[in-house]
Amino acid sequence: MLKISPEELKLVAQYIYDVSGIYLDQSKSYLFETRLGAIAAEHGCNTYKELYQKAKTDPSKIFERKIIDAISTNETLFFRDKGPFELLQHKLLPEMIDARTPNSPNLKTNIKIWSAASSTGQELYSIAIIIKELLPNSSKYSVQLLGTDISDGAVAQASRGKYNKFEMERGLPGDKLQRYFTMFGDSWTIKDEIRAMVQFKKFNLMMPFTGLGKFDIIFCRNVAIYFTLPDRQKLFNKIADSLADDGYLIIGSTESLTGICPRFIPKRHLRSIFYQKTK
Amino acid sequence: MKNMTILIVDDDPVVRKMLEKRLEKAGYEVLIAEDGYQAEKILTQQHVDVVLTDLMMPGTIGGIEVLEIAKKLNSSIEVILITAHSSVDTAVAAMKKGAADYLEKPINFDELFLRLEKIANVQSLLRNAMDISEAMDTTESVASETIQNLEIRTAELQGRLNTLEDILRDEKIDSYDRIYKALDLLEKFK
Repeated sequence: MLKISPEELKLVAQYIYDVSGIYLDQSKSYLFETRLGAIAAEHGCNTYKELYQKAKTDPSKIFERKIIDAISTNETLFFRDKGPFELLQHKLLPEMIDARTPNSPNLKTNIKIWSAASSTGQELYSIAIIIKELLPNSSKYSVQLLGTDISDGAVAQASRGKYNKFEMERGLPGDKLQRYFTMFGDSWTIKDEIRAMVQFKKFNLMMPFTGLGKFDIIFCRNVAIYFTLPDRQKLFNKIADSLADDGYLIIGSTESLTGICPRFIPKRHLRSIFYQKTK
Repeated sequence: MKNMTILIVDDDPVVRKMLEKRLEKAGYEVLIAEDGYQAEKILTQQHVDVVLTDLMMPGTIGGIEVLEIAKKLNSSIEVILITAHSSVDTAVAAMKKGAADYLEKPINFDELFLRLEKIANVQSLLRNAMDISEAMDTTESVASETIQNLEIRTAELQGRLNTLEDILRDEKIDSYDRIYKALDLLEKFK
């Protein structure tokens, strides 16, 4: 494995921060080496400085994409920790449906949900499955499900909805697996009825949230942990701007907004916490 | 003793015996099935890590069907197909259905042992990864309980501080009364 020098470490860490907002601890040089070494080798770079220079000057942004794919962590599962999904199914969705159901029976109930760091799509598909089961009469409802991630590779895999057995093993109950996936060889593909409910696209959370519109429910789990404190503050401020006044925010179960965003107030439901905007 | 159970499925008694002997000598736990039906029975009853099956066998359960049965029962079972040179295309199609590998007849045992070692390595890595994720899940669930309790508690305290501030800044009330009112409130919080 190609070794990284302290000078290169500084350069590469700053570059990764600039293009993705991901703050990597420079004491973990092995992390840079294991994740970027293969890209350097593949493109015949003899040093990380060379890789950095190629990435910076490459107008096609192929290097930038590859580096982001390699650096971003895609550890995710279907129904990862049950808490947020039970919360969604039993409290947040029913309440949101009540709040959004128009008086006229001819009008549809509109709900917008955003998975802000959708990785390879498991979180958003899990949400789609819950909605499918909760709202069988779909013609009365218009539910928009958007998943965004900074990694092109993750977005592409999410859109395909195809997972290998390791990605399927934990989290997904057997009955849901049989009902919503088709097995082919060692891999599983989400059925079209679920795939048609969701949309994935590339988005960098460091950028302004223009054009996204307002959401009723936002999932932003386990992504802010890779950002610096000032960037987390900015991120949750923008999320507050993008969330309906009575909307719900769900963050990772080990994350906290204390000292990060006073515009949100935590609320407990059974064993889970969700956030709402302060009045 | 290698930590893997291998099921041999072959209708040829000579091949069966030879495979059994060599694999046992190499330290593997070996189970034997004379055809697909016996293989199915064993797979449903016992733990198997690797299935080593002939591709062409008499009856309706051939190597491909054994592969499908094994994968359906437990997707972590690895299947190696043994094939005549002429049926390589079928073997490749089987790989697409989830077979780990195929070996051409006559069996080259060095090759077989290499494949088995590779499978053993992957399975041990997999177990390791599962242990780590199990440990991570435990840590995460304990940490999340602590953090969530703190999060709620902090929000409550912040709410009380805000109320206290409101009282202390309330210019409609005499300053002594404000202090008494504030102290009353603090008393209630205890």
